[in-house]
Amino acid sequence: MPRNFACLAALLIPAIGAAALADGPARAPAEPAGGRPIFPFPIRTTSLENGLGVVSVPFDSPGIIAYYTVVRTGSRNEVEKGLSGFAHFFEHMMFRGTEKYPAEKYNDVLKSLGADSNAFTTDDWTCYHMTIPASALATAVEIEADRFRNLKYDEPSFQKEARAVLGEYNKSASSPFLKLEEAMQDAAFTKHTYKHTTIGFLVDVKDMPNQYAYSKVFFDRWYRPENCTIVVAGDVKHDELLSLVKANYGTWERGKATVEIPAEPAQAEPRSAKLTWPLPTLPILFLGYHMPAADPSNTDVAALGALEQAVFGETSPLYRDLVLKEQKVVTLMADAQPKRDPGLFSILARVRSSDDLPAVRSRIAGALKAAAETPVDASRLDAVRSHLRYAYAGSLKSPDAVARAVGESIALTGRPDSMNELFAAYERLTPADIQRVAARYFAPANETAITLETEKKP
Amino acid sequence: MTRIPHLATIAGLSAAFVAGGPAREARPSGPADAQVESVSMPSPSSPLVAFRFVVRVGSQDDPEGKEGLAALTAAMVAEGGSRSLSYEQLLERLYPMAASLDGACRKEVTVFQGTIHRDNLNAYIPMAAELLAEPRFDPEDFERLHNEALDQVSKSLRGNNDEELGKWTLQCELYAGHPYGHPDVGTVAGLKSITLDDVKAFHRAHYRRDELLVGIAGGAEPTTLGQLVARLGAMAAGTGKPQSPALPAPKPPHGLEVTIVSKPAEATAISIGFPIDVTRSDDDFYALAVANSYLGEHRTFNGKLMQDLRGKRGLNYGDYSYIEDFIQEGGSTFPVPNNPRRQQAFSIWVRPVPKDKAVFALRAALWEHDRLVEHGMSQAEFEATRAFLLNYSKLWVQTLSRRLGYAIDGGFYGRKDLVTELAERLPKLTVDQVNAAVRKHLKPGGMRVAIVAGNAEELRELLTSGKPTPLAYDTQGTPEAILEEDKAIAAFPLKDVTVKIIPVEQMFEN
Repeated sequence: MPRNFACLAALLIPAIGAAALADGPARAPAEPAGGRPIFPFPIRTTSLENGLGVVSVPFDSPGIIAYYTVVRTGSRNEVEKGLSGFAHFFEHMMFRGTEKYPAEKYNDVLKSLGADSNAFTTDDWTCYHMTIPASALATAVEIEADRFRNLKYDEPSFQKEARAVLGEYNKSASSPFLKLEEAMQDAAFTKHTYKHTTIGFLVDVKDMPNQYAYSKVFFDRWYRPENCTIVVAGDVKHDELLSLVKANYGTWERGKATVEIPAEPAQAEPRSAKLTWPLPTLPILFLGYHMPAADPSNTDVAALGALEQAVFGETSPLYRDLVLKEQKVVTLMADAQPKRDPGLFSILARVRSSDDLPAVRSRIAGALKAAAETPVDASRLDAVRSHLRYAYAGSLKSPDAVARAVGESIALTGRPDSMNELFAAYERLTPADIQRVAARYFAPANETAITLETEKKP
Repeated sequence: MTRIPHLATIAGLSAAFVAGGPAREARPSGPADAQVESVSMPSPSSPLVAFRFVVRVGSQDDPEGKEGLAALTAAMVAEGGSRSLSYEQLLERLYPMAASLDGACRKEVTVFQGTIHRDNLNAYIPMAAELLAEPRFDPEDFERLHNEALDQVSKSLRGNNDEELGKWTLQCELYAGHPYGHPDVGTVAGLKSITLDDVKAFHRAHYRRDELLVGIAGGAEPTTLGQLVARLGAMAAGTGKPQSPALPAPKPPHGLEVTIVSKPAEATAISIGFPIDVTRSDDDFYALAVANSYLGEHRTFNGKLMQDLRGKRGLNYGDYSYIEDFIQEGGSTFPVPNNPRRQQAFSIWVRPVPKDKAVFALRAALWEHDRLVEHGMSQAEFEATRAFLLNYSKLWVQTLSRRLGYAIDGGFYGRKDLVTELAERLPKLTVDQVNAAVRKHLKPGGMRVAIVAGNAEELRELLTSGKPTPLAYDTQGTPEAILEEDKAIAAFPLKDVTVKIIPVEQMFEN
């Protein structure tokens, strides 16, 4: 089977300023117009007085829980010049310990639990996660509350970790895809902080050892209760979780800082960049088009997610022709991944020969033009809906996967169950919706085109 | 694959679906008397159903000069359509279900797997069975997948991921002249020599009922497994004789045998290893599992390698060790199931380090290994690591598919699944047993080292000169104790070093 490129667009609807989590009992997911909600488990939410969110998602996972702390801060929050990549770097620093639990002791506790523990950062959020025995819930709450409230590290360890981050950059830099992504974000964004990738500009990564003082500002600014939510999925009781969280986090004070993230002005003309790679590689065409920040009430978001599948999916005419029949293209994929702020609809084609790059680009443009001119068949739209539904259902196969899905929804919308709204929106879509977004978002003036080819040796 | 004794032919299909652990059976699958082995793990409340089809054929079975044939055959099965459906038609059918049958060729087995919603079970089963038993072998699909495999070796593996390049280089050097001694996907020359007729013949020879194990887990009806096995009756029955090639003992390394892959690279990726004669079939494996977890559990912060190289010195992003071949499953930190091998190697993975720190990092990894072998674990370290591994290993089977995979692997080694074996054995282990196993198996006569670097000649000079390679920090405040250790590491003897340099363009050519 072909590789299943993740359709992240299907999962999330970012929305700025979405309502905070409200206190509430366990509730079955809302029934959308099209039938059963996509998210099959009850979600129970509580918001503490200091703004900290507490979410439990109980389901049949005997003896195991996934414990997530969602911080609604990612590289989009890096507004100061020279400090790109700091959200990700700071994620590393969160493992450096406290007075009560220095790094080694913190790790010993995790080790005693047999925890699978780690963290990740994206453009929009930072996440600390562990999968542990359900019996270890109290320990998890205690050690996590301690580091979120009492993190302590010195400058030497800060500098050592900065070099581990440079190592992470170096690890990724042997792939052309990092270079492509950097070029796309740099070209497509002029003001907004999506201009840099999550790991940051290389010059800033190299300079990180010098930013110890700023790290304290960053922690104070973003690691605050109103910016964080605890999500526990699996063998969990909400009341027990809530009681533990209140005891350990209840007196954590709200923050005061506000930061304005610059809005990206509308793109007025096509942009492009040509990259080379020092070793033989398949040529790549990478296209980006500005798309809206996802909003549950904006049908365009669901329509772009469906368009991604209808025009570029494995059963689309374009895929059939370019990949299967003509075999000019090795990989064809699109990604309508919604972001908290307006992001990019991206299209990537790995082409067998550089000679075919112009033709492939033209064929992609043709497919998008056709989508704007001719409505997709109702049966095709049904197949797309079905695909999205079963792909999502199949993804919820472990406590970690369930916690991640809910965590991502919270991070981007402020609500744990926005996936239900998105899938309800898919059910309401008409062929005219897809036609409309095809006409609206893929204009040449809204396009950034990056190509990457093997470097020509003299 | 080591099969457990076949159970008597069952009278009713539902007999396989009993509560509790996996049920493993041999079933009549067609008119001939050859049987398909099966494993079932029912979970009636689950809306998902996971399938694994494990065929006892892998890259070790590639004929000489046709390296990549097993992997290309697997690709033609999974991504090439079936007798009744072209690949395009197959995609049309599978797409609304978001279903697939993913194929992966490993050293000794090829595994096909899929997880689907039970709504789609009746539609999926006939397609999956027909793909395995009666692939289409369309020339257009062959051209597509053949080119894809060639691109993967000559472009992606050589030029798009230095860590993978280094790890495959180490594999090839550990097993030179051995059935394990080439990338599973193949070599450039091997792939170029493969024809569609080769693939058809390979499928005929190896995809037989007596070489197949079918696993199913999740919320399927009790009759599903029987329906699936019956449909696989279209496969050849087979001879009933094991066909795996004999494996010669890998050549033991002497001194430090270094292979440097020369390519443009900003940082230096390092892999270190040597063959060991321990697998999950051996009692010592479980003692070594504790020692290895202490030294370098994959992508955790527990290991000494990670703590000392990354944590205290900031050399790189991560450092880990392994007592068996390790392929990470997707974005998780856990290994893929169904990668069983009759021969294993110990290895250390040092993620890319800056050029000027590469030899120090190599020495540091060797020094950590040396300390484990010479000093062993203390009682407290042993107990902490054992407690960790007892709990952590339970996380390896969180999904239906992974549970199934581990159960199948248990059969290969003639043991219970690894998680159960660890749960039963670790409480009885002693620190003395662990340290004895380390001294016995992890103290080699020599090691092989694969390095991917942009400064090959300079590295050769540094490695063969015997000169110390002190670490210069561009960060402040390194504790005195670490600086003292650094002096010992910088001068750690690199014994009997031989270095060969291979331009990346020549890697995996033959």
